[in-house]
Amino acid sequence: MSEPFEAERRLERLLDRTLHGLPVRRAPATLESRVLAELARRAALPWWRRSFVHWPQAARAVFASMCLILAGLAFAAGGWAASGLKSLHAVGVWPISWAREAVAVMGVAQSLSGELARAIPPDWIYGGLAAGALLYAALFGLGVAVYRTLYLNQELAGGQSS
Amino acid sequence: MGLSEHTQVQTPLPEPGSSIEFTTFMRAYQDMVFSTAARLTGDDAQAEDIAQEVFLKAFENFDHLRTSPTAGGWLKTVATNLALNHLTRYRRRWRLFSEMRPAGEGDEATADAPEPEPPPDTLLADLGAEQRRAAIDGALKRLPAHQRLPMVLYHFEEMSYEEIAQRLRVSLAKVKTDIRRARAALLPMLQSQGAS
Repeated sequence: MSEPFEAERRLERLLDRTLHGLPVRRAPATLESRVLAELARRAALPWWRRSFVHWPQAARAVFASMCLILAGLAFAAGGWAASGLKSLHAVGVWPISWAREAVAVMGVAQSLSGELARAIPPDWIYGGLAAGALLYAALFGLGVAVYRTLYLNQELAGGQSS
Repeated sequence: MGLSEHTQVQTPLPEPGSSIEFTTFMRAYQDMVFSTAARLTGDDAQAEDIAQEVFLKAFENFDHLRTSPTAGGWLKTVATNLALNHLTRYRRRWRLFSEMRPAGEGDEATADAPEPEPPPDTLLADLGAEQRRAAIDGALKRLPAHQRLPMVLYHFEEMSYEEIAQRLRVSLAKVKTDIRRARAALLPMLQSQGAS
């Protein structure tokens, strides 16, 4: 066994011996009163302000039933809305005039972007992507440097000096 | 551990009898819970907050804990978990940053580091138990959190390197390096305490 390794093992055993069997620290005198005060505060809350598991059984049952009914109504409303829109579309009637305009604008935007993609040389696109990645990496590196300089080093220095 | 940490029992209202019994229970374990949290966090105020949270959870499970022979272990585990959660909650997003090391600070550099001085046979032998405890707690507080945490988990909570790496979600090599550095940093601190 090499000497450095043996020295480390001895240090580990020494610290183990030193750290074991230490008396525990005395808890602050305020801890007990804080816990009891918090328990009393929670006990004084009305049932509807406590977590769901502490609600009375009847209230939990009513709440669960109402949730189920609301979920069913939401599904039903979704179905009715979808079938209504479908029937309006089938007869060529749009319920709102701006919906037709929005669809037209989206179509124009789609064709415009297609034209642009064909017009721009691929090298420009690759160059733009590379520049974006470079800027992102630079910003990330700057963030790391700032974090290590302003936060982490101070924390370490604080830990060593306190 | 005989009880699941996530066991949820309907919290009863504190009645006079159960309140007295719970207070007795709390008095029996509060020093251990507070010590566990304080060693991990290195901060008494945070440790008191965590100890309070532990006993609030204990009260929710008091029907089981009042007769459980493993109540102490349950409390210690919850205290450890809450302290670690508290410490990692706001640091997770910075882990990538904090684990980046300047060149020469990595494990390879540690392997080439000068040979450690042979440790003495005893430490703080001249001090009484309470003074020794205070000296060690003071020295632990001076360690950076990333060294103190694995050190405390290894030497006080008797977790293995692998368990610590899993629990802290860091590499095994980092755990070993941090503990080795924590020991190396702790030794001169304790030697100076013993000499003073």
